[in-house]
Amino acid sequence: MKKHWRCFVCNDIHYGIKPPEICPTCQVKNAYVKTSSAEAETICGGAEAEKVDFNKDIFLEAIEKFTENNEFQVNPDREKVNLLLEGIFNNEKNHGLKYCPCRLITKDFKEDLKLVCPCNFLIHSTYKEKGECWCGLFKRRK
Amino acid sequence: MEKKIMFWARECPHCRNMIPLVDKLEEETDVKLERLEIWHNEKNADLMRSFKDVIAPKCGGQLRTPTFFDTETNDVICGKVEYEKLKEWALK
Repeated sequence: MKKHWRCFVCNDIHYGIKPPEICPTCQVKNAYVKTSSAEAETICGGAEAEKVDFNKDIFLEAIEKFTENNEFQVNPDREKVNLLLEGIFNNEKNHGLKYCPCRLITKDFKEDLKLVCPCNFLIHSTYKEKGECWCGLFKRRK
Repeated sequence: MEKKIMFWARECPHCRNMIPLVDKLEEETDVKLERLEIWHNEKNADLMRSFKDVIAPKCGGQLRTPTFFDTETNDVICGKVEYEKLKEWALK
């Protein structure tokens, strides 16, 4: 079961089964201690955190950065990308998270987390066979 | 009553690609598809979810768009396909 963890040196919050061995922010080894969800939320929502109001441009920048050192890229077809971003942001507004516009949530939250963009599309048959995630937002580099 | 349904989503590029093929199918044959948008219409979404046990195993375990579903035969196609494959599904 995933939990919240807090770095005792720099207050980084990690969510996962295990914490990182080395804190990615302060580089201290074995720095994470299990914490409560309430404390983690308070720290993450606190004044020190950079408030990023995500819009489509910032999200696009984030996913482009995410693909930089990967075998895939954001689809060069900008018309397709713009349509998908429209859907992703409509889904966040209407349904709470950036769900893939080409799949439907089941209303089982844990299951539906698999649909949050970017999803783990490396396991999609379309990625394995055609080099694209199901919706086509990500494409294997040639 | 038998229905042939196209579950689609407004911001799904594959659905947009398939719509002209569905138009062509309806022009060339007697088949009429019920076109149900699923991200902006909760009733349609619930209907698609009600067929999850039939549709999902044929669509990578998920509910994906576009999905072409025959309520009588339970035949399913999901994703962008060639016109001939769509026609074959429709006339089966």
